[in-house]
Amino acid sequence: MNTDVPTTPGPSSGSLLRRSGWRLEKRLEVKPWHEVVTLVGAFIVGLAICSILIAASDKSVVDSYRALFDGAFGSRRAVYETLVQATPLIFTGLAAAFAFRARVWNIGGEGQFFAGAMGAFFVSNLWHAHLPRGVMVPVLFIAAAAAGALWASIAGLLKARYDTNEIITTVMLNFIILLILSYLLGDLWRSPDTFYFQTVTLPESAHLPLIVDGTRLHWGFGIAVAMAVVVHVVLRRTALGYEVRGVGINRTAGSYKGISVPRVTVLVMAISGALAGLAGAAEFSGIHHRLQLDISNNFGFVGIIIALIGRLHPAGVVVSAIAFGALVNGAVTMQIQTGIPAALVDVIQGLSLIFVLSGAVAVRYRLQRTHTDE
Amino acid sequence: MNGSSADSVLLRASGVTKRFPGVVANDNITLDVRRARVHCLLGENGAGKSTLADLFYGVHEPDEGVIELRGEPIHMVSPRDAIAAGIGMVRQHFELVTPMSVLENVVIGTRGEAKVDLRAARDRLRELCDLYGVEVDLDTPVGDLAVGQQQWVEILKALYLGCEVLILDEPTAVLTPEGIERLFATLRRMASEGLTIVLITHKLHEVMEISDDVTVLRRGRVVRTSLTSEVTMADLTRMMVGRDVDLAIDVAETPRGDLVLDVSGLDVATESGRGSLKQVSLRVHEREILGIAGVSGNGQDALFDVLVGMRSADSGRIVVDARDVAELSPAGRLDIGIASVPADRIHQGLMMDFRISENLILGRQRSERFGRRGWLNQKGIGEFADDSFAAFEIAAPSPAHVTRVLSGGNLQKIVMARELAGQPRLLVVHQPTRGLDIGATEYVRRRLVEERDRGAAILLISEDLDELLNLSSRIAVMFDGRIVGEVDRRDATIDRIGLWMAGVSDTPGEALA
Repeated sequence: MNTDVPTTPGPSSGSLLRRSGWRLEKRLEVKPWHEVVTLVGAFIVGLAICSILIAASDKSVVDSYRALFDGAFGSRRAVYETLVQATPLIFTGLAAAFAFRARVWNIGGEGQFFAGAMGAFFVSNLWHAHLPRGVMVPVLFIAAAAAGALWASIAGLLKARYDTNEIITTVMLNFIILLILSYLLGDLWRSPDTFYFQTVTLPESAHLPLIVDGTRLHWGFGIAVAMAVVVHVVLRRTALGYEVRGVGINRTAGSYKGISVPRVTVLVMAISGALAGLAGAAEFSGIHHRLQLDISNNFGFVGIIIALIGRLHPAGVVVSAIAFGALVNGAVTMQIQTGIPAALVDVIQGLSLIFVLSGAVAVRYRLQRTHTDE
Repeated sequence: MNGSSADSVLLRASGVTKRFPGVVANDNITLDVRRARVHCLLGENGAGKSTLADLFYGVHEPDEGVIELRGEPIHMVSPRDAIAAGIGMVRQHFELVTPMSVLENVVIGTRGEAKVDLRAARDRLRELCDLYGVEVDLDTPVGDLAVGQQQWVEILKALYLGCEVLILDEPTAVLTPEGIERLFATLRRMASEGLTIVLITHKLHEVMEISDDVTVLRRGRVVRTSLTSEVTMADLTRMMVGRDVDLAIDVAETPRGDLVLDVSGLDVATESGRGSLKQVSLRVHEREILGIAGVSGNGQDALFDVLVGMRSADSGRIVVDARDVAELSPAGRLDIGIASVPADRIHQGLMMDFRISENLILGRQRSERFGRRGWLNQKGIGEFADDSFAAFEIAAPSPAHVTRVLSGGNLQKIVMARELAGQPRLLVVHQPTRGLDIGATEYVRRRLVEERDRGAAILLISEDLDELLNLSSRIAVMFDGRIVGEVDRRDATIDRIGLWMAGVSDTPGEALA
């Protein structure tokens, strides 16, 4: 299963490191459990390095990490909140992973998130009074997916038609959508009873139901996990998924054998945008129930990290999204109890990513004991 | 240890075994390399030659057995130890810093001093160049050198580091015929100056031409070490493949059938202008192989691409079974029965990170056999993979394995299995046996003849004249984007085709180029 994950190519061959008695040798095959060990290892190393930072500020490492863990998983309520935090990250992580599998570099998850939220708000605002919740909620999700797909397709079409660098276009589209949203929030969509840049709060008919009453855990989490399964099935079981992976591996061979790379590129961008758009719908309809400029905690960008740490595999995305949801959630408790800034969590995230990426190369080698004559 | 014949043995592998997951790359190898001689390691792809060389160079360590140098066992953990012991190697993939000059690349491997005395290094290098007749400008950035020249830089590096044994892994692969001649002359000179050369190759004539001793490897074992003067090419072939291979396949002429491919007046301009097509016309019938000969770069790539739909023609017609296919995409051409085997199987033919079973259906993932309404039919794919494994004798652990682990011959078998499965009307084949060992080469050629006998029209583009003379019904020669001559196989001679390939027309009064 690991074999179709694009990995960073390692050095061609040979030994990298020489220490007396040990040597690095290239592995012929990387097995799934190697990847799991790499992921867990990277995370632990990230935590370990951060413990130096904690120790340097004269705080107890053990207490801090205990607070972090308690905040994330220490109680039933904490676990629910962790899953709430993980929900948008699963969507945006899947969005990035799907695109990256085809080597389409969609960096516009953030913009597509907002496009999705705007699409969801637009239809909800229009129809919430006329449609029952059971219809309204699916409709707003579909609208969000369509809006995300549409917004991403701009970059997809430019790439397919003019070979425009999608990294640049998707990043620019992020700015554009935020400026459009600011404009709308300041004008057409601004709630009449407030001075802030925000819309009205929509009534319950546009709210996503909760999984557990009395918490914030809404069905967006269930939809996110379901989408992970869908993405996996699409990649493995459908001709489109086959072509997506093929384009990611070798687009020259793909075109020689009749795969239309431009067509796949546009589709991938649209699907990726739709997934990011769903994140917007889930946050809008599950948490905020209105639009404002700060509904995203950099979800689009963090999704890229999630996708890379999850090795572009849907299951990996879910696991790493939950891990980072836990970090974000636990950080609050840690800050309250020990005074360590929650920003430390960003450091852990960044360090883990660095170690996962270097681990992806390292996992291709094995350390071997060399023979000595004595 | 003094005197006797053991004295002349410089490097020895004694009972050496090296295992990789699932394979025994070297199995109890014992072999003596004698001082100041050229010793060839001969074997098919995957016979274990490169692994053995890596063991001599400290890249790997033997699981069992020892490497001895000058009669003493040596223990090497990395190439650094090998270099220190006086063993140098030029590997197939060069290890050069391309923006740096030749001189800088050579001294970069020296260690132990904080400051390198470039002037002394330059003098020393000049001496080496003069001694062995190497011609390289020491101040040129390595990236500006041709591949063949870069190889000389690698050789100079090894010499500069004071090697006594120089191992070269398939050095002729990147060289022109003149380049090979120069290399061999230099190697002879080195041997006469007392250097010991170990040369890895799978080309028989190179062994006969250059070596004093030859060791044949097969499936990781030594078949025999002989004096080159005491063996013939036929002996070596037998030892390499374990059976007699008659590369000249018996190609009985069959009467050709209807016209399948009719190309007329094809013009294709490439971006760089090199390798474009000019007024190419050719016809291929059922049960016929039309061979296209030519030195590479004379339009073969463009011809292949325009036939499979990867390039469009500026003018001219491509008609297959009385249907103009110019507007058809690569997918559309597959559908009407045009199959193709590209020259570069790794980049144009296969997804190296796909499972083998997935590669076997590439291009037909949406066909009825392998899918329905966009879903892949796992059962159909699995069955087809099993059939292909059996029919094409693909040597791999299972169809679920990643394609990357296979050898060149098996990669080509996957491409062939895929392309022949649809019983194509027209088969466009480009360099089908390049880089393959003898066993796989024979297999691929036999398959092509079988396809012809089944009724396919085959266009065979190749730079291997023996292959063309053996397989083709007719041979056309490309030069500078044109077909400069066409001849029936019965009337074809190497001389005549060779002249055409060089751009000399035998039509009086017509000048080419």
